[in-house]
Amino acid sequence: MKEIERSAQEVIDSFVEAAKDLPELKETYYNQEAYNVVSPDGEPTPEKERAEFRKRFIADMPGSDDQGNLKVEVAKWAER
Amino acid sequence: MGRTLEKLDSINRGELSAVDNVWQALERIEKLDKKINSFIELNSNAVAEAEAVHRRLQRGEKVGKLEGLVIGVKSNLNVTGLRATCASRTLDNYVSTYDADVVKRVRAAGGIVIGVNNMDEFACGSSGETSAFGPTDNPAAPGHIPGGSSSGGGAAIAAGLCDLCLGTDTGGSIRNPASHCGVVGVKPTYGLVPRQGLIDLGMSLDQIGSIAPDVVGAALLLETIAGKTQNECVMLDVDKARYLDRLGDGVKGMRVGVSQKFRDLTDPAVMGVIDKSVEKLREFGAEIVDVQLPNLERGLTAYYLIVSVEFFSGTRKFDGRKYGKRIEDVCGEEVLRRIMRGRYISQKEYRGKFYQRALQVRTLVRQELMAALEKVDVIVGPTVPKLPHRLGAKLTPMEMYAYDYLTIPANLAGICAGVVKAGDVGGIPVGVQAQGKILGESDMFRVMHVLEAKA
Repeated sequence: MKEIERSAQEVIDSFVEAAKDLPELKETYYNQEAYNVVSPDGEPTPEKERAEFRKRFIADMPGSDDQGNLKVEVAKWAER
Repeated sequence: MGRTLEKLDSINRGELSAVDNVWQALERIEKLDKKINSFIELNSNAVAEAEAVHRRLQRGEKVGKLEGLVIGVKSNLNVTGLRATCASRTLDNYVSTYDADVVKRVRAAGGIVIGVNNMDEFACGSSGETSAFGPTDNPAAPGHIPGGSSSGGGAAIAAGLCDLCLGTDTGGSIRNPASHCGVVGVKPTYGLVPRQGLIDLGMSLDQIGSIAPDVVGAALLLETIAGKTQNECVMLDVDKARYLDRLGDGVKGMRVGVSQKFRDLTDPAVMGVIDKSVEKLREFGAEIVDVQLPNLERGLTAYYLIVSVEFFSGTRKFDGRKYGKRIEDVCGEEVLRRIMRGRYISQKEYRGKFYQRALQVRTLVRQELMAALEKVDVIVGPTVPKLPHRLGAKLTPMEMYAYDYLTIPANLAGICAGVVKAGDVGGIPVGVQAQGKILGESDMFRVMHVLEAKA
């Protein structure tokens, strides 16, 4: 674990060294400026398709209770 | 004519049925893939899906560009009923309940999904060795890595196990295996192909693209999957893409950029093969122009900071509460390394020390590439600076990351880039990379087509 931590840090150190003389610039978060964040609502999915999706979802889910609800495994970190 | 057109032609003329094409692929996979390990799971409905395509063809219905072709899909893309594991124990029992947009488009065009390809775990790797389902061998250079992270796709095409593959490319993950396996691989312009249904490595860098035995196949698959959709929030305003029409236009009069920086970073044996490709372009009428890319190599560490932060953020949902297992409990070393790095940077990010600074370096690399591409139509150079190592050889993380020096800049800049085999060094394939402008795929394919014909 220590070795993985050390190698994770190594790239950060290399980056700091490589970037030290570079000019300050505006950051690039995404390469394209045209975001489709307010796309209009389309037609609702047909009921038949939704029913099929529910069926597939229930068939694939790892576990269910008596009423057919998805049984969730509690993460270790959430256990007291 | 090339493998893809020959196959399509024989399906069209009824000499080969879509069903027989699927059976042939299944037989080859059965025979060869135990050793190669390029598929994680096969689609048990593939034959039935091929029968449906066959019936439509027999009725004389128009099926689509990929009619009857057999397609492999990288394991980080959702395909209804198949496991989307990302080659990780984290999701080894996660069955997709829907098709990614690109898979929907492939099916609508008559393509038949044959199965799910192996890959580096969560796309974290450049060698194809970090999969929880075991490493993939390189059919073009047995005993060597096939490259990654789309290792299964590159190897499956090289071995002729399927006709085309969908891969993903965040820092070279399509182009690197294409180069090592001697096949064609294309990373499209960022925002050209919808990412809906892709399990991200780095959301601001990932693009879905094509892996194919020839340039026609890569162009055909990209034409099929490109174009905007309302399901995707970061997309270019492109309805449809057409590349095949101009594929044979040649390179006469085109301006092709080359950079001294490529030579500085690349093994001389690899560079010798690339020089011959550049010379061919000159012979066919292209004007070769020197371009300056002074900070190209600085993109490498900036990329690994950015991708680690985005990966750390993107993997917080894998907490084992609703599905799968907690990622940190079961993942491999490289995935853990990136999560730890991303967490560290996120915790220590004050006054723009790391992440913000990396995004500034991204701007710098982008500006330099854009300036170069104002002078030329495409930039041609090596894909990977060195030959692939032998499977199982021990490399440090920094040595492994060094495979990505020449592919990362295209992702940082969001431009398109494609790879085609240029030749070999001692029998090991070497791919030449053509980097194009934003939405410059058409010019990029023209150059690749000439390079392919003359390889």
